[in-house]
Amino acid sequence: MKRRTFLKVTGGSLVALFGTGAAVWSQMPVLPTRPAPDVQAAAGWISHNDGKYILTLPRIEMGQNITTSLKQIACTELGADWNAVEVKLHDTSMQKVRSTVGSESIQYFAEPLAQACAALRDALTNGKTVSDGERVDPRPIDELRSFKKGALGRQSPELVHGREIVTGKPLYAADIHRPGLVYGRVLRAPSSSEVTSKPKSWNINAARAVPGFLGVIEDCGPAIGKATGLGIVASRPGALSLIADALDIEWDVGSLPPQTDIQALIDVDKHLNSGPLPHTALEGVPEDGVWDIDLRVDLPFASHGQIEPRAAVAEWKEGQLKVWAGAQDAFFHRDFLADHFGVSQGDVTVQSCRIGGAFGGKVPCSAEAEAAALARAVQRPVKVQWTREQELTQAYHRPPSSHRVKARLEKGRVSDWDHQQVSSHVIFTPFAIPKWLQSGTDLAVGDPGTARGMETAYQFARSRAQYQLERLSVHTGAWRGLGAGPNMLTAETAMDEAARIAGIDPLDFRLVHISDPRLKTVLERVGSISNWQGSAVRKEGGKRYGRGIACGIYKQVSYAATVADIILDDEGEITITHMWCTHDCGRVFNADQVKAQCEGNLAWSIGMVLCAGLPVKDGRVVAEGFFHSPVPIMSQFPEMTIDLIESSEKPVGAGETAMISGPAAIANAVRSATGIRASRFPLEPKELAL
Amino acid sequence: MSFVLNGEKHSIPAEWADEPLLHFLREHHGLVGAKFGCGRGECGACTVIIDGVAMRSCITSAADVEDSEVRTIEGLADRETLHPVQSAWLEEAVPQCGYCQAGQIMSAVALLEENPAPSDDDISAAMDGNLCRCGTYQRIRKAIQRAAEASV
Repeated sequence: MKRRTFLKVTGGSLVALFGTGAAVWSQMPVLPTRPAPDVQAAAGWISHNDGKYILTLPRIEMGQNITTSLKQIACTELGADWNAVEVKLHDTSMQKVRSTVGSESIQYFAEPLAQACAALRDALTNGKTVSDGERVDPRPIDELRSFKKGALGRQSPELVHGREIVTGKPLYAADIHRPGLVYGRVLRAPSSSEVTSKPKSWNINAARAVPGFLGVIEDCGPAIGKATGLGIVASRPGALSLIADALDIEWDVGSLPPQTDIQALIDVDKHLNSGPLPHTALEGVPEDGVWDIDLRVDLPFASHGQIEPRAAVAEWKEGQLKVWAGAQDAFFHRDFLADHFGVSQGDVTVQSCRIGGAFGGKVPCSAEAEAAALARAVQRPVKVQWTREQELTQAYHRPPSSHRVKARLEKGRVSDWDHQQVSSHVIFTPFAIPKWLQSGTDLAVGDPGTARGMETAYQFARSRAQYQLERLSVHTGAWRGLGAGPNMLTAETAMDEAARIAGIDPLDFRLVHISDPRLKTVLERVGSISNWQGSAVRKEGGKRYGRGIACGIYKQVSYAATVADIILDDEGEITITHMWCTHDCGRVFNADQVKAQCEGNLAWSIGMVLCAGLPVKDGRVVAEGFFHSPVPIMSQFPEMTIDLIESSEKPVGAGETAMISGPAAIANAVRSATGIRASRFPLEPKELAL
Repeated sequence: MSFVLNGEKHSIPAEWADEPLLHFLREHHGLVGAKFGCGRGECGACTVIIDGVAMRSCITSAADVEDSEVRTIEGLADRETLHPVQSAWLEEAVPQCGYCQAGQIMSAVALLEENPAPSDDDISAAMDGNLCRCGTYQRIRKAIQRAAEASV
């Protein structure tokens, strides 16, 4: 099926499904199901009373400091002091809004908020108020104070919540305390969530002997995948692990042929040997002939590694449920909980708390449903916070991927391009859609999340990109940048290799393939600020110095180019010494925090290349902590120079863009220093040793 | 059993004695600045200062701090006046999600108390056990340098 067609079909069929009621709707969290807000909706976010304003933000705050940027916009339009505007995180009593995904808070929320605040300012000036439902007429965008060139960009007010964070005030779901609060956990079988499992027998007497034991709860909320749990409740959180050990649960685990070697299951060359891959991201048809570049790139599973394991506090009062949650879509959670517990949506309130990192991983309703089920059983408020092991074994992860990328050169340019990938799902996952629909999307639609970044920004005569999805026994899903990180790492290392074979400087080589002026600008600028003079190699006293470059366009709207300098020692240990990144996400409201997002993306890039992996054995995750699934540490962190393009183009997201250029810049630097083109990530120092 | 928490003497009730110090601080004392990140001493989100040393409160039991002096992030500021490290954190706009930052700040405070003028390598050595997934390390480093300069 052609790409244009599948997008249309996807949109249509899913919209149709959403019309079928809460039961079906509740199974579909991750899709952009709600329209972007308009000025009318935004009028409900800001209220005024006696010189003070309350800004109830419809976005969850999980680290992009979007709260700060939106408050800047509000203050500027209102003409209000920073301290005159109080920010509150929303609960589900407000009008339904889009989930906090896709780094789109500025793209879709900035202008409506600015319009609503400007209207309130005018009304107050004229001695009126803007009441609910009163029509707000949007004004031309150039009349908005916050959209004037340079109006806000260089301001960096104290971060919203900054003072609370540095003084340790409660902000996150697990910080909530309620009278009579007890602590719960839902234990699940140590097997793949795709295998049916349930508790069979357990030692209740041993559990009772643990001080703090309150109960074992069999009705402990929905299964995760096919894993039905057993709930435990205690008066102190530390008792939970002791109770879990004491119970010594015997699990009834169904039989499913274990996927003993997942990396072999997605081996791209094996699949290509049995025919073309079924889904298309680029429709060109390369000419037959010998390829000049023919690279294989493989990446493993990777966990999100956010420092906050998901947590929730749930409390039932007179048949009504309140849940404090740090999740990317409070409304999805409310609907899911109402559906699961058989109460009306009006009887469930989900209060958004600040999220301690999500990166695409905190969409499903899991700890929240567990807390609600346990709270209902014990008739007391219950706090559930997942252990790190639960995060690694029960949440979803970046899918592993296996790529084959080929390019042919003609007169110093790439004429033909072919990127083939086998991976698993990012959007149409078991978390997102029911089984019956999964087979449908697998057959007809593919997964645009997995394919993200397979499109190319370069002007090649003929370019093809195809992919295949395997359903894996380890759950996969959205990870920062979705498929763009792995796909662009693959494509930009191939582009680098093509430049080498053509004998042209990799920056100049990219430029001749670029028609988009904004991409050209970020690439030239990063060359200029890094004093790019080619990826020349230097060796000094057993140390090898390398330099690499990469660039790209994210989701066809934002631009990034990165240069990385590295040093390798004789044992192949890599030190990244400096990264430069030029970034264009259109109009910028808070330059410092856009830079912070670039720094974050470069941190993820470093992780992708140096350490991101997740051990899997017999078809299930066997990691227990950060030791098994590492994230970068401070000493792996280079100096970073971030350069933002000042632009009056439409503002778009900055939360994922630099993922397209950071990883390949590092990998290309390693290539320049060692002569070795890595085909597996994360890099193994011993393969790079002298 | 008793200990000193942010300058005040408190008893350690018997039922909390075997509990990880982190839970005792968060759930019994309501000091929620220190965070649960891994429960295995790997991430540093739960870092508090015990007798002058940055320690992991998730793998330290409440009974272990008997007769010790425990400082948490809630005890750093003098009423409304922030500790220089807290101020530096705000001036450098360090936090993204913010979840690891209390642990980062406590490790930084312990470092600067022992070594008021740390080199880059000293900072890395002291901070490598505190993970930040958002990628705020460059700002953390700058904030530590700023706080060090401020106290010279």
